[in-house]
This record gives sequence, structure tokens and C-alpha cells, in this order.
Amino acid sequence: MSRKYTRGRRLGVLAAIASAVSLIAACTGGAGSTSSNGKIVLRVAYGSQFVFLTPQLAIRWWGTVAKEFEKAHPNVTVQFTPIPGSYLDIVNKMSLLFRTPSTAPDVAELPVGQLGEWASSGFLLPVNKYLSSASYWSQIPKSVQDETLIGGKYYGVNHGENTNGLWYNMPMFRKAGLPVPWQPRTWADVLAAAAKIHATQPSVTALWLAGGSAGGTIAIQYNGGNLLAGSTNPTIYDSKTGKWVVDSPGLRETLQFYKTLAQKGYQAPLSELLNPNSVDNLPGLLAKDNTAIAVGANFYAESWVKSTCGPCWLAAPRIMGATKLPTINGQPPGYASSLGGWELSIGAQTAHAQLAWDFIQVAQQQTNMIDASNWGGWVPPSSVAASAPAFINYAPPYQAFFAKLLPASQEEPNTAPFTVWGTGFNNATGAIIQNPGISVSAAVNVMKSYITNQLGASKVETIP
Amino acid sequence: MSVSEFMPAAPVPVPGVAAMSQPPAGRRLDKKRFSWSSIPLLLPALGLLAALFVGPVIYSFYLGFTNDALLGPTSKHFNFTGTANLNRLFSDAVFHQSLYLTAFFVLGSAVVGATLVGLILAVAMQNALGVARVVVGGLVVVCFVLPPVVVALTWYAAATGHGTYTSLFGMPNADFLQSGPLLIVSAANAWNLTGLAMILFAAALRNISGEILESATMENANGVQRFFRITLPLLRPTLVTTILLMTLLALANFTVVYVMTAGGPGTSTMILPVYSYQQAFQYDNLGYGALIGDAMVILATILSFIYVRLSRERT
Repeated sequence: MSRKYTRGRRLGVLAAIASAVSLIAACTGGAGSTSSNGKIVLRVAYGSQFVFLTPQLAIRWWGTVAKEFEKAHPNVTVQFTPIPGSYLDIVNKMSLLFRTPSTAPDVAELPVGQLGEWASSGFLLPVNKYLSSASYWSQIPKSVQDETLIGGKYYGVNHGENTNGLWYNMPMFRKAGLPVPWQPRTWADVLAAAAKIHATQPSVTALWLAGGSAGGTIAIQYNGGNLLAGSTNPTIYDSKTGKWVVDSPGLRETLQFYKTLAQKGYQAPLSELLNPNSVDNLPGLLAKDNTAIAVGANFYAESWVKSTCGPCWLAAPRIMGATKLPTINGQPPGYASSLGGWELSIGAQTAHAQLAWDFIQVAQQQTNMIDASNWGGWVPPSSVAASAPAFINYAPPYQAFFAKLLPASQEEPNTAPFTVWGTGFNNATGAIIQNPGISVSAAVNVMKSYITNQLGASKVETIP
Repeated sequence: MSVSEFMPAAPVPVPGVAAMSQPPAGRRLDKKRFSWSSIPLLLPALGLLAALFVGPVIYSFYLGFTNDALLGPTSKHFNFTGTANLNRLFSDAVFHQSLYLTAFFVLGSAVVGATLVGLILAVAMQNALGVARVVVGGLVVVCFVLPPVVVALTWYAAATGHGTYTSLFGMPNADFLQSGPLLIVSAANAWNLTGLAMILFAAALRNISGEILESATMENANGVQRFFRITLPLLRPTLVTTILLMTLLALANFTVVYVMTAGGPGTSTMILPVYSYQQAFQYDNLGYGALIGDAMVILATILSFIYVRLSRERT
């Protein structure tokens, strides 16, 4: 073996090690890393498929915000981490990114349903000190602001919200002799309308209300969660006792509503209701003109416009009406709506907190906030943006209607056990949808035994 | 006269092969040998095995006894919690149900479904017309090579409202996936695995001597007798291997069930892999989810041990 060969091989090994180290360093790049051209890199993570109505709209919106931000901050490069997949994929991937300091994002788009979990993990930076510089903050209703309030600190700002109501097919209502426009005052009014539809047009779905576990706990805010919010006792988590409610008058009223639909034949086919994509499929089902009333979200309106076409249904305003879902007996505030949305938060491990906040400020400029709402299927959190023509005229007449529901809409708990509670609730609604003969008490027991098994008897309670 | 007198003192030279190397005196090729020089050669494989299999399994067992969480206060700093997770496992009603559901799923889809149907198909195709053999064999193998996600979506579409199966039974609005979820997911998995079982049996059947079967025919044995008295006993090693393979593939199956039902409705298809995933990635209990995974590892090891012992027994 020659000396030259030995030396050459040694150099080769060293070069390989050096390359590998550089590659690993480039791949991991710790928080506050800089790019090869000396610019600061700001890492931004967002859901690329699930959050906006189409992936193309997500790319367009985030690209616009990054361009505006980089123009104002020439020494910074925005590096995106788009997360494909469903709601759960986003939650899991985001959690894994945060667990490793070298991959933790500086700015993250997070669902409000899990915000408490990220905050309690120490992954998020409180933004209280920055809020005074946010002109839009005072324009956001208190109930919406408080979505990000955990332990007295705000862990992000509201990016866009979903509200819910009743969608109804106006030609079917006229055919059944029901008034148009329609505003029921109680749940009994809603069921009476469903009964008339069922009697006059038995081939259509009288009242569409999804349930079951296939859609996951995110689906609750678009179906049964709205009814629970309008019941006589909507408590899910009792903050005084620190326990989760597994039986209450509100839960029984909600499950009884499901039972009435199933027993009287008002509900949609099982394959529609128990579908994992039941919530996302509803805009398409309504466009097929075979559903009279549906409990559903604001984003259906934005799904039907030309820029989304999910599906295209430009005739929707002539056919579909939207009205408030009343509380069970018409008690104040008179209507019920679950609240859900997405937040923009700053990672606790960021080395560029001010830059991260500046990026959020660009994202929350009125034009960007309105674009996000129109393309994400949301209501803008700011009342000023929600009344701007660019939002109102995007999918008239629905945008203005669903924006008005925002102040009194109710958020679900955003801590980890809610997923368990939600699965138990879904199991109960699914049991009734599948077996209309099951009693409400038996459905409550399905829920109670599941949640008790998962959380332990000391963590659950019954409200008489 | 001692025995050594009959043994040659040195290897007997064979004309024409004098140059051929002979084993050194005292070494016998029919006995297991160990040489220290083989260790360096084995190190890369051992290293890979340790890093990619033994290490993760040991770590997973360790995680199963901690309160590690995907999110929440213990996500950053988790602790060893002794037997807390184990106590929970023993009293967890969903885990108990999951064991029963997993047993049904594995027995139904792997042992009864894939293995039995694979065997029937392989035997039937032995004497089938060439065209039929190619077409049926090709279709069954296509089912096997399809990605599990495609299998799940195909069966989902066929078994739910207005799907192929519901329409065939004249009940377009019915939903077989909701009314018989465990049966449908088991059938989907069996449909996916049958091709592999059929290939294994077809290969084994080709190795059975035609002369034995011919002799049996001459002794007036009918088809059923030939199958149960000759073919099946000769297939026993393949049968055991196939059942082992199908069982382990079914035990580790996550995709088909998760895509079709996510463990539902309720917990009616909550087999162990899905329950482990639900605990770890939906309820954020990484530690408890790991322990359920550990239970699966132990279960798979026991089953493998039993099958290997069975395959070693003489027929």
C-alpha cells in the first residue's frame, strides 16, 4: 500500500465526514440560524392542505405575506415549513417540530383547539407585551381574544374564525309551506320544520346533523357542539372542580335531539353522517339539492364561489338560506354557535421574537386578514375587517350573516383531555345515529364509561 | 482392535485432485465452528441490527414506563413512572376489548381468510385451464401488490352507501361498514393478503411429486382422500410458514383499519395498532401508547415462537 494512497484515503474520509457534518448542520439549522448569504432565517410553519380551502390559495396567501415582510425586512429570509395532511397531521407534525429546538418554528399557524396543550408544553411565547402595538386587537370581540388566553397570558392572535348556523333550502321550504326567510326561535321550531319537510318531501334529508367518531373531535364544533352550546347547560369542563362533564341536562338534551332525528327518519343516510369527511362533504351535498336543513359552518359559502369551486355553485344564494340556530327554549342570547379557528403564535425558542411578531403584524394587515378569511373560509376576527366590502362582497349574502354570529359564539376547551371527552361524545352521537332505538341514558353511558376509562373516575362529574 | 485402526491417519490423496485444498487436520466441516476473525465481518450487520431494531425496541420498552407526552407539561421533561402505565393497562377496558378485536381480526383475516382462501385458490388453479389460471392468478396478485391505502379506499367505497356491495345486495342506502365494521375490515385485509398466500401454496404444490399422487390414485384414493392424506401433510411446512407470515402481517396492520374506520364506530374496530396510535398521537400519551406497542411486540414474539416450534415438529 503506497503512502500516497493512504493519505488520499484519509483525506477522502475527512472530506466525507466534513460534508456529512455540513449537511447535518444545514438540515437542522438551530433556532435563529442564518442562511448562506448572511441573512436571518425566519421559520414559519403552517398547514398547507387542510387550513385554506385549497392548497393553491394557501401557497398564494403565505407567499404574499412573506414577500411583503421580506420587502420591509431586507436582511431576513422567510423559510416555510408547509405541513400537508389533515387536522391531526398538522397537530402531530407541529408538536414534533416544537419538541426539537433545531426544528421549532419562529411563527406557527395553530388550531385553537390544541393551543392550551402547546402553551402548557412551554412551546409558545406569550405575546402580551406586543399586543398594544396591534391596532386590530381592540377590534376583536373579547370572547374571540380569549381563545388564546391561557393562565392569564395570550399565546397568539386570532387568524380567522369559524361560526355555525342553520342552512336551509328555500325552494323546499316554500314547497312545504314554511316561511322564507326562516328564523326558528326554539329547537321545537326546528324539529317542526323538519317534520313538515319530511311529510311533504320524504325523499330528501329533512335535517342533516353529523356525529360519530370518524370525523374526529374537530368535527364537534360543526355538528353536535352547536346544539350543546344552545342547551340549558353547555358546560364541558367544570373549571371550579377541574372535572369533565360526562352527564348533564345539556348533554341529554343534545342527545335527545339526535335521537329525534334518527327515530323520526329526518336524518341523512349513515354513509353521509358517519363519513370521516362529513363536514367537508356537506357543501357538495347541499349543492345536490337533496337536503332541506343542515347544521353547518360559514365556510360552505366560500366553498361555492368561483375562486374555490368546492364545488362551484353560483346559484347558491337563490337556493340556500342561512339562519341562526336557536337555543333550546329561546333563552339568551337566543342563538348558539360553536367557535373555532386558527391562531398565529410565536415559538418560545425563537431567537427573533420581534421579527416573528413583525411577521404576524404583516399577516394581520387588513387586506391580508380579509384574504385569509375569504380563502380560508373564515370570518375575520376584527370587526372592522368583517364589515369591509372586500369581505362582505366575496360570497354574499352569507359573509355578513356569519360574521354577526362571532361575538356570542362559544369556544370548546383547548386542553388535552378535550380530545378524550370529544371522542366519548362522538361515540354517543354515533351510537344514536346508528341505533335510533337506543335510549338517551344508554348513549350517555357509552360516553360516560369511555371517558371515565380514559381519564379516571376522579376526573369526571355529573351535573344533575 | 481399536476403532482408530479403521480411521486413516491422514487424508487419502485422490489422483487428479491433489491441488485441491483440504481442510486442516482436526477440522470437520459438518460441525459448527467459531472463528474470532468472523467478528469484524459481522460487526456492520450487528451494528445495524442494534441501531435500527434492538435499540428502538429497548427504548420503546423504556418509554412504556414513562409519562412522556406529545404535548403538555411532560412533553419536554418526562419521568419514569414505575408500574403506573402497566396498572392502567390491566384495568383499561378498551385495551381488553382491543385484545379480543385484534384476535378476531388476525384469526379472521389472516388464518381463516387469507390462508384458507389462498390454499383453496392455489389448489383450484392447479388443474384449471391456462387462461383461467393466468387471469385469476393475475387478479389475486394485483390485490396483494396494491398499497394498503388503495385497498382501504376500495373497500370503503364498495361497502358504504351506494357502493358495489350495498348495490349488489339491493340495499344502496345501507352501510355495511357501519353495520358490520370488524367483518368488513377483516375481509378487506384478507382480500389484500390472499395473493401472497396463494403464491406460497402454488409454489409448494408444484414441489409435490406427481408419482405419490399417482400411486394413491392407483390405490383407489379419491380426490378428498388424496388432498387430506397426501397433499395437506406435505404442505405442512408451507402452511405453518404462511400462517406465521399472515398472522404477523395482520397483527402489524394499521393502515387498512385506520383509513376505513379509525377504530370506530365507537371502539368496534379498535385493534391494538390503532389503539396504540390513538393513545400516542391523538391523546398525546406517548408513554402509554408505547406500552401498548410493547404488548404487541410480546404478542408477536410468542406467536412466532409457537409457529416456529410447530414447523420444526416432524410430520
